[in-house]
Amino acid sequence: MSRETDRRTFLTLAGSVAGTAALAGCSDGGTEPNDSGDGGTSTDAEESLPEPETRDDYLQRANLLLNQDAPWIYLNRQYSVYGKSTDVEWEARRDERIDGDAIEPLGSKSTVTITQSGLGTGLDPHDHRETTTDNIVLQAYEGLLTRDREGRVTKQLASSYERIEPGVVEFGLRSGVSFHTGDSMTKEDVAFSINRMVQDDVGITSPQADQLPGVTGAEVVDGNSAVRVNSDGINPIVFASFATYCDIVNKSWITSNERAYINTNMNGTGPFMLDTYEQDVEVVFTSYDDYYGDAPAADSLVIKGAPESSTRVNQLLTGETDIAVNVPPQSVSEVRNSEDTEISAVPSTRVLYNGMMYDREPFDSVEFRQAMNHAVDMESIIENVLSSFGAAISQPTVEGFFGYNGDVDPYEYDVERAEQLVEESGYAGAEITLHTPVGRYLQDLEIAQAVVGFLDDLSNVSASVKQRDFGSLANDLVDGDITTGPDFYLIGWGNATFDASQTIIPTLTSDGSLTSYEDDRVDELVEQAQSMGSQN
Amino acid sequence: MASFGRFLLRRTLQGALVVLGVITVLFVLRHVTPGSPVDFIAPLDANQETRRAIAEARGLNEPIYVQYVDYVLSLVQGEFGFAYRSSTAVRPRVFSKLPATLELAGAATIVAVVLSIPLGVLSATRRHEGPDYAATLFSLLGISTPNFWLGVMLVILFGVQFRIFPTSARPVGLIDAAGHLVTVSGGVGFPLDVAGFSDAFATWLRYITLPALTLGTYFTALITRLTRSGMLDQLGRSYVQAARAKGLPETRVRYHHVLRNTLIPIITVVGLQLGTLVGGAVITEQVFNWPGLGSLIIDAINARDWPLIQGSLVVVATGFVVVNIVVDALYARLNPQVMD
Repeated sequence: MSRETDRRTFLTLAGSVAGTAALAGCSDGGTEPNDSGDGGTSTDAEESLPEPETRDDYLQRANLLLNQDAPWIYLNRQYSVYGKSTDVEWEARRDERIDGDAIEPLGSKSTVTITQSGLGTGLDPHDHRETTTDNIVLQAYEGLLTRDREGRVTKQLASSYERIEPGVVEFGLRSGVSFHTGDSMTKEDVAFSINRMVQDDVGITSPQADQLPGVTGAEVVDGNSAVRVNSDGINPIVFASFATYCDIVNKSWITSNERAYINTNMNGTGPFMLDTYEQDVEVVFTSYDDYYGDAPAADSLVIKGAPESSTRVNQLLTGETDIAVNVPPQSVSEVRNSEDTEISAVPSTRVLYNGMMYDREPFDSVEFRQAMNHAVDMESIIENVLSSFGAAISQPTVEGFFGYNGDVDPYEYDVERAEQLVEESGYAGAEITLHTPVGRYLQDLEIAQAVVGFLDDLSNVSASVKQRDFGSLANDLVDGDITTGPDFYLIGWGNATFDASQTIIPTLTSDGSLTSYEDDRVDELVEQAQSMGSQN
Repeated sequence: MASFGRFLLRRTLQGALVVLGVITVLFVLRHVTPGSPVDFIAPLDANQETRRAIAEARGLNEPIYVQYVDYVLSLVQGEFGFAYRSSTAVRPRVFSKLPATLELAGAATIVAVVLSIPLGVLSATRRHEGPDYAATLFSLLGISTPNFWLGVMLVILFGVQFRIFPTSARPVGLIDAAGHLVTVSGGVGFPLDVAGFSDAFATWLRYITLPALTLGTYFTALITRLTRSGMLDQLGRSYVQAARAKGLPETRVRYHHVLRNTLIPIITVVGLQLGTLVGGAVITEQVFNWPGLGSLIIDAINARDWPLIQGSLVVVATGFVVVNIVVDALYARLNPQVMD
């Protein structure tokens, strides 16, 4: 509670600083919507600050500017909320993944069951892009690098990793690793796996190709048990990317089997091997006896899918499952009140925001965008709509990520200030419509309705919600035609690399595939950051 | 006889046209609904090259008429194509769901028949008395209770509260259970694994009870009403009076003659309803996480996985058409006048 008070006090201070900066921008750029379509005031806002030096500095500066320019209404960081049986010990991870070997069954129990929202699409580790499939694949397949529960990069199948020269990194390989079919893992397997992901002509066209951004290919190193990975440019986030994606597969097993077979069978190096796979029903794993590391605590692991959240919760309450993924806010107390179950919640890597197209009226005015941020009482939304499972955000990057700016705080809820900013923007009386998907993100429609409620409460703005089918909304946003998209929309962004650049580049730079914003200074800062190596 | 053959042929051709119509409507719908399947396969941040590559790999960049002709031709050859998201073949996936759906439809029908016919008979023979009102009230409740609500209530009551039945899923199928009666080498061998079979069958029964009750309730109400009015209609006929006058015991009149005659239209309705249940169990399957066609269709629709949607719906439509033709054929055999 006292922390809350501190934050409020600080917010007031931060708010007035931001306000001053915005006013400065206003007197320079004029209150008229400017012709260049550049809605930013960034150059003015950071005038007093020294030029950044490190990559971290550059990204932090970009986050600062993006807070001040308010290209989004900063909503919340989504939490992953799990229901868990007291028969197992397990701590939720930040990256929405469930590592079966970290689940410890208590007592005489030897089988652990997980119920998630679906069973994904198949078992090929490179032929999908969804968390549900990730959670299945990662039990049996492993990458060169991985992350601990907090998100720090650690070694998995790599014994070492280093930068050799700009754009080239080398992974030394762990010895004594074998695939479930018995074959030893070789450097050829590793190079093949990487190329299968990033090169169209190797195996399949992988939807994960852009998860290793900049990576062009891999080759084996003569003599040593090592693989070199080449990138286009310096690629500062190469290790962060490899810690998230790139499962190592057995080259001969992949090349000698049909695509459909690879999608219904598994041959990885992980602690669990596939026992039975019944598509859309359940996946059963047993522990792999020849695993190079510590054997998992559970002898067998079952993953089930149930799209209805009430079904997952009921399964948990009756002991039919041990871990239920995505417990909705309305079921939290039910799970807490039961003796045999508890809630395990952790901030995820996903942020929810309202994008505002920087080149459309009234969102081309920075004052107007800031007003939108001041108008929304995010703390109240988090408490009431999300049952406190969420955290207000101040910038595109979440806390704990590389490049997060700890000095920036969320916009203060201040209706008067918001109304005043709307007046200054010259767009008093604006009518805006928020497009939102329904059921795509946790409480997405409810959040959108609450946000619009706050905006509509402003005396000089009227706002409404438009519910959209996610597919058509996404299509409008990414079809490359900026004129077709909605100018005000709710969307979520997950970033599993734990690096600020992978949120800012796609969503807030001129070339981003999902961008709603264009500012030369932000582009420049991010470009600078991407030309520097970093340690994360 | 020749006319019956012609009738059957005509019916089959009509049925084929209906299925083709379904295929065409589905195909058109697919192209007028907003949102490209690529958006569901590719993540939001996928660049244009990745998108193009995904579209190309799935033939989504071909002109519409080419896609249509390709699709119809492959269906005619029994090929359902490949699901967009997982590149797995659609046909085995759809057919692997069929047993679960048929089991549920069958079980629901059994529940309905077992409950409704006695209720209907009771209601007709004790017309305007307590039992009749009770049965009428029950069927009214059954018709007006939404499936999803009843399902959720049954789960909360018998699954979560009393823990009598499991809340969801289908760990074994009837075919798996029957597998215990077949030796490992294939073929029926002795001694049969009866214990294994009855274990598996008991599990199956435990899991299917609540979904079958849920799905069967609406149906129960319908058949109760049908039985009641059918019985009343028959009871007023002169042959009943004749039978009574002849001195037949009332029970024999009711159950041997009247009920028999009443059953004919009921069997027709049950047959047709079975077709509806195959496609109509969607909500019940969702609530109980029953891995049948309904769950598959919902999943496929959410993912805009059109080959999967089309495949499932074509199977459902074909099933419906086949049931209709069979019912028509049976009718035609019983009453040749309908052939005209």
